Amino acid sequence: MGCLLALGASLIIADAAPPAAKSQSAKRPGPAAAAVCQGCHGANGEGAPAAKIPRLAGQSADYLDKQLRDYATGARTNEIMQNFAKPLNEADRGAVAAFFASRTAPSIAPNPRATDFQMARGHQLAHQGSEPERVQACDNCHGPDGSGVPHSAPYLAGQSADYLAAELQSWREGERKNDAGKLMYSVAQRLNDADVSAVSAYFASLGAP
Amino acid sequence: MVQRLKEVDVVIVGVGMVGSIVAKELAAAGYKVVGLERGDARFTVPEFQSPAVHDELRFDIRKALMQDNTREPVTFRNARSETALPVRRWESFLPGTGLGGSMVHWNGQTYRFQANDFELATRTRERYGKNFLDKDVTIQDWGVTYAELEPYYDRFEYLLGTSGKAGNIKGEIQPGGDPHESPRSREYPTPPQKEHFQGALFRKAATSLGYHPFPQPSSNLSQPYTNPEGVKLNACVFCGFCERFGCEHYAKSVPQTVILPVLLANSNFELRTGCQVQRINLDSTKKKATGVTYIDTAGREFEQPASLVITSSFALNNVRMLLLSGIGKPYDPETGTGVVGRNYAYQTVSSVASFFDEDVFINPFMASGASGTLINDFAGDNFDHSGLGFIGGAFIGAVNTNGRPIQYHPVPPGTPGWGKGWKQAVVKHYNHSVMFSLHGSSVSTRQNYLDLDPTYRDAWGQPLLRMTFDFPQNDLKMAAYVTAKGVEIGKAMGAKQVAGAPRTAPYTTTVYQTTHNTGGTVIGNDPRTSVVNRYLQSWDVPNVFVIGASAYPQNASWNPTGTLGALTYWAIDALKNRYLKNPGRLVSA
Repeated sequence: MGCLLALGASLIIADAAPPAAKSQSAKRPGPAAAAVCQGCHGANGEGAPAAKIPRLAGQSADYLDKQLRDYATGARTNEIMQNFAKPLNEADRGAVAAFFASRTAPSIAPNPRATDFQMARGHQLAHQGSEPERVQACDNCHGPDGSGVPHSAPYLAGQSADYLAAELQSWREGERKNDAGKLMYSVAQRLNDADVSAVSAYFASLGAP
Repeated sequence: MVQRLKEVDVVIVGVGMVGSIVAKELAAAGYKVVGLERGDARFTVPEFQSPAVHDELRFDIRKALMQDNTREPVTFRNARSETALPVRRWESFLPGTGLGGSMVHWNGQTYRFQANDFELATRTRERYGKNFLDKDVTIQDWGVTYAELEPYYDRFEYLLGTSGKAGNIKGEIQPGGDPHESPRSREYPTPPQKEHFQGALFRKAATSLGYHPFPQPSSNLSQPYTNPEGVKLNACVFCGFCERFGCEHYAKSVPQTVILPVLLANSNFELRTGCQVQRINLDSTKKKATGVTYIDTAGREFEQPASLVITSSFALNNVRMLLLSGIGKPYDPETGTGVVGRNYAYQTVSSVASFFDEDVFINPFMASGASGTLINDFAGDNFDHSGLGFIGGAFIGAVNTNGRPIQYHPVPPGTPGWGKGWKQAVVKHYNHSVMFSLHGSSVSTRQNYLDLDPTYRDAWGQPLLRMTFDFPQNDLKMAAYVTAKGVEIGKAMGAKQVAGAPRTAPYTTTVYQTTHNTGGTVIGNDPRTSVVNRYLQSWDVPNVFVIGASAYPQNASWNPTGTLGALTYWAIDALKNRYLKNPGRLVSA
């Protein structure tokens, strides 16, 4: 039933997709507009951890939709993603977001570079926070074990460690700023490089929800 | 055996908001300060973290953050003809315990009282004549004016980072703010919180009726903020778990998020938790305090000598501490003489429920403790009371703070109280209702007071505080009047059914109303009608300062914390710059 629905969606918006994407859509599941995403993020949005390409499978559709919109408007910056997001109309965006939100994919392996100390510190930051730095638990917003709280808080569990670390650094430097109330900026400001590595490695080690 | 400890400069009874601020200022000025807190130490991490802190059953229903009333309840009766019984389950009001005090579980609603409130007796007489009020009303002037307190209000709001929109800056009315407010020296430290949908509906309806809606001043912050102490706070995420809960986001201004990090880093300050203060000790003249006696969690008794004693407990406990210590003459309702326990007041909170069609989605859960929209057109003396037979009023607002599943289920009058009919009504109305709060003032009267209970004692063998209270006629008339106004606004919002619930007598301790208990150690310029002078210093024992909402001679239309913060900084100025330069004497007016 899911496949039939997805196929239907691809037929409806096929005209809006570039020719290259059209040919790919024949081999891959999902709407035509998703085909170009699949090139990097994987057929089911499994991501490419080593290349800092995030996992999208099962992610909140509202979150994915907002990120695409923010790339299109420049509220979130990334040259590659902005180029892909700008041509998408609202319907394409929604279809792409819904498609990846509906996918499942195997989790990536735990980050082999993390030490036991890093994992313990990551666990603490994720579940409890740290009073000396006055930083609250990631789970407060991102859900138990970083499993995500739709609509707005993405899951972190099973996400690429390198991607998470890069994003935390980006929040901290003020380069990424598409959060409400500067929430992520406030948190990232209080994490040093060691904490960023630890918490990113910890979440990467968890199975994706 | 009592262990006598080394003398310190200052001992503070109760390390909540007031205690933390006073301790911080005096420790920074070089004095050795000991803070005694009966409850536990607790911090944002780990004590207030999710998901544990969102346990509605534990915190909301079972009152996990409140004073332990298996060991230390309050006894209550409506009138002197009755026998008071211990309140074994907090419902009507919720005194907190533990580091940070009751502020830890506050909603962050940060108002100022108006100039009129501080000179209420004089202004009422001037405007309405001397025979306007019922004979039993005992309202009085504070002995300190709004103009004197303004800089201290400002300081407190900037400590908290309060989010709001000024309505009157130095006499200039500001669009979007409250035009009725007394002049403030500058804008709020942070802009107002986002307006939720019910607030927008309210604003539109109130405007159409010619009223002046404005955003609720909130100490759940709208944006990140660094306060003058250098402490950083985050923006609120509108989780709807403020009142009765700790905030997991460092977004609600409480001692832990605004001042304790600075205080606890000062080696002049020592925090001792689990310390149940039994009394303030006096010397043989009964005019000088020598320190306090407390019992720790292991049952050991200590005497902590100190040159200066500050009681900064919850209002009710400040009163009890003076009564237990024999400081000041207890109030006698028979003769109307005596002062300690006199002029206990509360607040008179009514409500209006508006029920909408099912295509109007309110999403009540998307809220903070202070993200509402309200009007002050019927608060305080902002309207003409001639011919109405009462003074005071209420703010009226769509200020609902949450949509939590156990506690929040608005249903129209006539709905069955339980069973299938009730369940169906809850499902039908949960997301399509707006509850207004009508937050009303409370006059003090001759028969409402606090004293020591003759029968019941606490776990340490000390008499409990006894509360004798019922709603004065003045306040019941006020509640009926403002509730009718609230119903009109509900109708103007387009609700298909509007139900007003004015507060009625008798007062009951079994229904939550407000934790704004005031009076009992009243401020003033006349020792015959006040316990403390205008600097919150005991008339009888000058090295004791009593800082709390217990100082309010009557209660105004707004939440009392902003005014308490202002009074705290006002008292600190007098302490640091006047009292401590000439200790042991009354600070002259």
